[in-house]
Amino acid sequence: MGLLKKKDSTSTRSSTSPCADLRTAYHNCFNKWYSEKFVKGQWDKEECVAEWNKYRDCLSENLDGKILTRMLEVDSELNPTKQADSKESSR
Amino acid sequence: MFFFWFLDSLMVKAYKQEHVYKHPWERVSAASWRKFADPENKRILSHILEVDTLNRKLDTDTGKLHTTRALTIHAPGPWFLHRIIGQDICHCVESTVVDGKSRSMQLTTKNITLKKFIEVEERIRYDPHPENPSAWTVCSQETSIRIKPLSALASMAEKVEQKCAEKFMQNSVKGREVMERICRYMEAESAPV
Repeated sequence: MGLLKKKDSTSTRSSTSPCADLRTAYHNCFNKWYSEKFVKGQWDKEECVAEWNKYRDCLSENLDGKILTRMLEVDSELNPTKQADSKESSR
Repeated sequence: MFFFWFLDSLMVKAYKQEHVYKHPWERVSAASWRKFADPENKRILSHILEVDTLNRKLDTDTGKLHTTRALTIHAPGPWFLHRIIGQDICHCVESTVVDGKSRSMQLTTKNITLKKFIEVEERIRYDPHPENPSAWTVCSQETSIRIKPLSALASMAEKVEQKCAEKFMQNSVKGREVMERICRYMEAESAPV
C-alpha cells in the first residue's frame, strides 16, 4: 500500500510498510540533527548517513517503480535546478 | 485559442492563509518535520497514511537543505469523483528547501495521482515574523486548485474545486492544531528545570 509494490490491490489502510522501522530510525536521527545542529548553524557535514542508506536501500527494493518515476518527474518540475544532483545522490 | 485560454484561467482557484506562531522559527520549522509522524497527533491527521523521504541533500556551503518526500493520503472524494477516479488513495510529492542562513523554510506539495484531471499545489512558507523575528514565526500558505480543461472533470469543475478547497481548509486547520501542539511540547521540553 502507499508507495509499495502492490501484492494485494485491495490492501487495507492498516498494513505497514516493510521499511517502517528503518524510516522511523532515519526520521528520528534527522529530527535530532535538525533541532540540535542544523538550526544552530552547524551544517558543515551530512549526518545520519548510515540510517539514511539503510532506509533508502529498503525503499529501492520495495518501491513501486511506476509511482516513483512519476514522483521524480513532479519533483524535477518543482526543482529544475537540482535535477542533476538528485540523480547523482540516488545512485 | 483565446477561448481555451479564457476557460483555462477560469479553472484555477487560489486560496491564501496566514498564521502566526508565537514560537521561534527554529522550533516551528522543526515541528513541521514532525507534523505527520508524531504519534499523538496521527489521530488528528489520520488522512495522512504514509510519509517517506525519497531524497535529501545538504549544501554545506550555503546551509541549504533540500528534501523530497512522498505523501500517501487517504482522500475519499464526493461520490461523483469516486465514480470517475475509482480510488481513495492519493500520492503527492513534497519538495522542501530550508535556508539555514536566512531562516526560511519553503514547502511545495503537488499531487501525482490524477494529474491529468486536476492539479493541486500547496505552497507553505515559514519565516521569522517581521515584527518579532527572534520569537515569532509567520506561516503563509497558498493552495491552488486547477481542473485541467477538457478533462472529464471540466464540466463539474466548480463543484470539484469547491469540495477540494473545503477539504484543504479543514486539513489546514488540523495541521495548524498539530503544529501548535508540537511547538508547545518542544517548548516545554527545552524549558530550564
